[in-house]
Amino acid sequence: MKELYRLSAAELSQLLRSKQVSAREIAQASLDRIAAVEPAVDALLDVTGEQALAAADQVDKALAAGEEVGALAGIPLIVKDNICTKHVKTTCASRMLENFVPPYNATVMEKLEKAGAVMVGKANMDEFAMGGSCENSYFKPTKNPWDTTRVPGGSSGGSAAAVAACEAPLALGSDTGGSVRCPASFCGIVGLKPTYGAVSRYGLVAFASSLDQIGPFGRTVEDVELLFSAICGQDMRDATSKPYAYQAKSASVKGLKIGLPKEYYGPGITAEVKEKVLAAVKTLQQQGAEVVEISLPSTDYALAAYYIISSAEASSNLARYDGVKYGYSGRRDGSLEDLYLSTRSEGFGDEVKRRIMLGTYVLSSGYYDAYYKRAKLLQKMIGQEFAKAFTQCDIIATPVNPTTAFRLGERCNDPLQMYASDVCTVTVNIAGLPGLSVPCGMDSAGLPVGLQLIGTKFSENTLLAAGKVYQTACGGFAVKEM
Amino acid sequence: MNKKYEVVIGLEVHAELNTKTKIFCSCENRFGAGVNSLCCPVCMGLPGTLPTLNEKVVESAIRMGQALGCTINGTTKQDRKNYFYPDLPKAYQISQFDVPLCANGKLDVLVGDEVKTVGITRIHIEEDAGKLIHDDTMADTLCDYNRCGVPLIEIVSEPDLRSADEAKAYLETITTILLYLGISDAKMQEGNVRCDVNVSLRPVGASEFGTRCEMKNVNSFGAVYRAIVYEAERQAKILDEGGVIEQQTRRWDDAKGVSVLMRTKEDAQDYRYFPDPDLLTFVVSDERIAQLAAQCPELPTAKTLRYMKDYGLNRDDASLLSLNKVRADFFDTCVKLGRCEPKFISNWLIGDVARILNEKRCEVCDTALTPEHLVEMIELIQKGTISNTAAKTVVEEILNRDVSPAQVVQEKGLAQINDSSALEAVVEKVLAENAKAVADYKNGKTNVLGFLLGQCMRASKGQANPGTLKELLAKQMETL
Amino acid sequence: MEIDVRHIAKLAKLQIPEDKMAQFERELSDIVGMVEKLPALTGDGALLDETNTMQLREDVVKPSFPREEMLKNAPQSAAGCFVVPKTVE
Repeated sequence: MKELYRLSAAELSQLLRSKQVSAREIAQASLDRIAAVEPAVDALLDVTGEQALAAADQVDKALAAGEEVGALAGIPLIVKDNICTKHVKTTCASRMLENFVPPYNATVMEKLEKAGAVMVGKANMDEFAMGGSCENSYFKPTKNPWDTTRVPGGSSGGSAAAVAACEAPLALGSDTGGSVRCPASFCGIVGLKPTYGAVSRYGLVAFASSLDQIGPFGRTVEDVELLFSAICGQDMRDATSKPYAYQAKSASVKGLKIGLPKEYYGPGITAEVKEKVLAAVKTLQQQGAEVVEISLPSTDYALAAYYIISSAEASSNLARYDGVKYGYSGRRDGSLEDLYLSTRSEGFGDEVKRRIMLGTYVLSSGYYDAYYKRAKLLQKMIGQEFAKAFTQCDIIATPVNPTTAFRLGERCNDPLQMYASDVCTVTVNIAGLPGLSVPCGMDSAGLPVGLQLIGTKFSENTLLAAGKVYQTACGGFAVKEM
Repeated sequence: MNKKYEVVIGLEVHAELNTKTKIFCSCENRFGAGVNSLCCPVCMGLPGTLPTLNEKVVESAIRMGQALGCTINGTTKQDRKNYFYPDLPKAYQISQFDVPLCANGKLDVLVGDEVKTVGITRIHIEEDAGKLIHDDTMADTLCDYNRCGVPLIEIVSEPDLRSADEAKAYLETITTILLYLGISDAKMQEGNVRCDVNVSLRPVGASEFGTRCEMKNVNSFGAVYRAIVYEAERQAKILDEGGVIEQQTRRWDDAKGVSVLMRTKEDAQDYRYFPDPDLLTFVVSDERIAQLAAQCPELPTAKTLRYMKDYGLNRDDASLLSLNKVRADFFDTCVKLGRCEPKFISNWLIGDVARILNEKRCEVCDTALTPEHLVEMIELIQKGTISNTAAKTVVEEILNRDVSPAQVVQEKGLAQINDSSALEAVVEKVLAENAKAVADYKNGKTNVLGFLLGQCMRASKGQANPGTLKELLAKQMETL
Repeated sequence: MEIDVRHIAKLAKLQIPEDKMAQFERELSDIVGMVEKLPALTGDGALLDETNTMQLREDVVKPSFPREEMLKNAPQSAAGCFVVPKTVE
């Protein structure tokens, strides 16, 4: 038998329910694995061992008593550190929230607690989810398990690296412009960015409210499906969430029309990535899917629209960090202005400051119409283009990233180049659509490549069905031995 | 005030709504609780929290809009107004910017005998900020966030007001309407209603507006009056000296009776309004808007005019009644009973009833008085069962306990004696006991009649019907 | 594209060190430069979206949080309140 830590959530659940293994053994295996690989990966900011074992014991007790347990009972879970966990530090990998302990649970945490999931740790990330490499963490950079000299992608890099390194079978991330899909692709695992409104954002520390969504990671499509179905659904505490319940579809792509937008296969995409992605599409074609060429002409502008909208919202969302109610507090012996300036200048890192500055600028008097309003109108146009594209096809297939994982430090001094790596993912957030990232082979350096499948709103079941077909057809996804 | 200039005034009135919960979270909306005891992660702006808009706030604002004849924007949104201040936990206020819930209304205000129509630019909904506590003994400022998220409507008038009197009357009418609709407690002393006043001057006859100054923190009817008088004089002095008015925001210090400069146009804030991405567009259906419109009661100015026209009340009495919703409702119910003259009801309500309520510091609804009882008492006076003097005693009683005036009259023996035969005996007895006065009368001293009447009234313990008594006395004297 | 970094920093309550001003200006200009490519678009300036609306909340009270819980993360508190440097406006 494989080591427990290597098993998927579905496999663990089966073992647990057939009493071949206890929840405590599963949790302990996860904690042991964390202890073994963390020094190399640095995926976590906090290991919640004690709470995890206590939660696992609860599950064992319930099972022993013959009680009904939740869908994720006893399954170890890692949570991105921008999702509020009651009485467990939630730092957003920022000095600003280094000691912030939320007095409440995010809605997803409430749901997962009910489902019996066992949180084993909180994951590193780019500070306030701003970044694509996980290097913008105030605490430490996370390394890619496939090559620890490379980045895991971002911003949910800790969550993705932890799952890829088998620290836990499941993790939660958040995706504002690609922050689940990018690290999933760099780390060779599966990640889903749900439809905007499918998962409650209540308790997700906001970066860009109109784009943020919490999304699941797993090493198999089934595991991602399992976690997604446990967290989705309307929440009256989130006015932007929608009535929705997940219904699985049978794993088939027969007659499914896959659109290939030519704008996503342009010169910015490396040849190796393009080749792997098209090969994966071919595989799906062999399983009965049809392929059509489509066009999404506004893609070129999406990145600009994305950076305007997300930074504008961020500048306002992050204004509350003023050193008064919680978090880092600067000079308290001077004026109010001194407190504000010192708190925010010392508490935020450079990337966060850059976005706040950009967002403040595009909303400032005289520039609102030229930037923010124009970007919002463009957002509408991009949504309409997708709607039109979906009259020609059922799902859209693109690369997740233009490249595979780059080296640590390689892009730190060039924000524009860093931003450009989001080019394939931001449109999905701009249009509020679901996007699935599945591994589709390795490049010549042995680094994972990701295939992105995009669907219409609330068509997660179609995407996951296609993902399962591909997973089976390619013989399953490789797991890094560490 | 200088006669060379015309004062141009516009008011921005912020009124706290009396919904059960705050505007964006389910914390109780209540004044006077212990510091930071009515707070939750949402109204404290904790990371990760999201607002949810209270339906009742939207409906209350719409009702105010309808009362002020506004167009209702049934499809609208919330916007963020960004600025840093310690009373604002999120560093932005959720408000409305370009699509207010209500716009383009007007309000008729009675100023003296004139009806003045004031344009209403807009009414929008927003959240209140917390309270900063400054204490001279402390080096720091304390923040109490209970008030964060208390729902506010901001009512913005056109610059249509032309004097401190008009502005005061406008504000009084606005607060009365809030009470009429039952959407705000409208207590200025508790800060339920706060006011920013925009004042500018222009030469009499000019059509262009002058540069305006905004005064913040004007928080009572009296303060509105004083602040405007002060500001108009300040500006007039500058203009008289050949100066120019600078656009400023000033803070009114009512205790000192002066306004103090807060900021000039140069450091005007840049609020960076944009649609709140946590709250989507929301729609109030036409049916719901119509249902709310149907709930709109008759408003105070209309009521005053109706009381004058239909019931012949004078203006002061009419507006005294209609400025108090509870008493106006009471009055209307009394009149509807159709058993006595509205004028008499008004006299009693404004007179003795109001006096007693003032003494007791309560409202008519807090007493045992019912419209039926008041009307019944007035009927007793008109029928001659009781005198006006006796009625004063009856009023006290029927305010204190749920008892019919007739029963009070009986219990206290307050009924007038109208029976001539009973009174004849009284008269005979008095005449017998006052032989000297009778003799004087016969000798032509007719003024003793008054004295004798008094003695008769006394002998009847004040219960004799004065008319009947006088008649009987005169008759008896003639026969002597 | 010239950007008044000092003014923006003031609005955002951020202190940008003098030696980083130029870098910030360059980076902001670069990003804003991407935006300059955006096509001019016309549409409802109010940004209302009737196709995507929200439900409103019923006016029903739920318990607030205990004061101690709300003050736990406060950098400084006194007398049940959050403390800031003397502030009078």
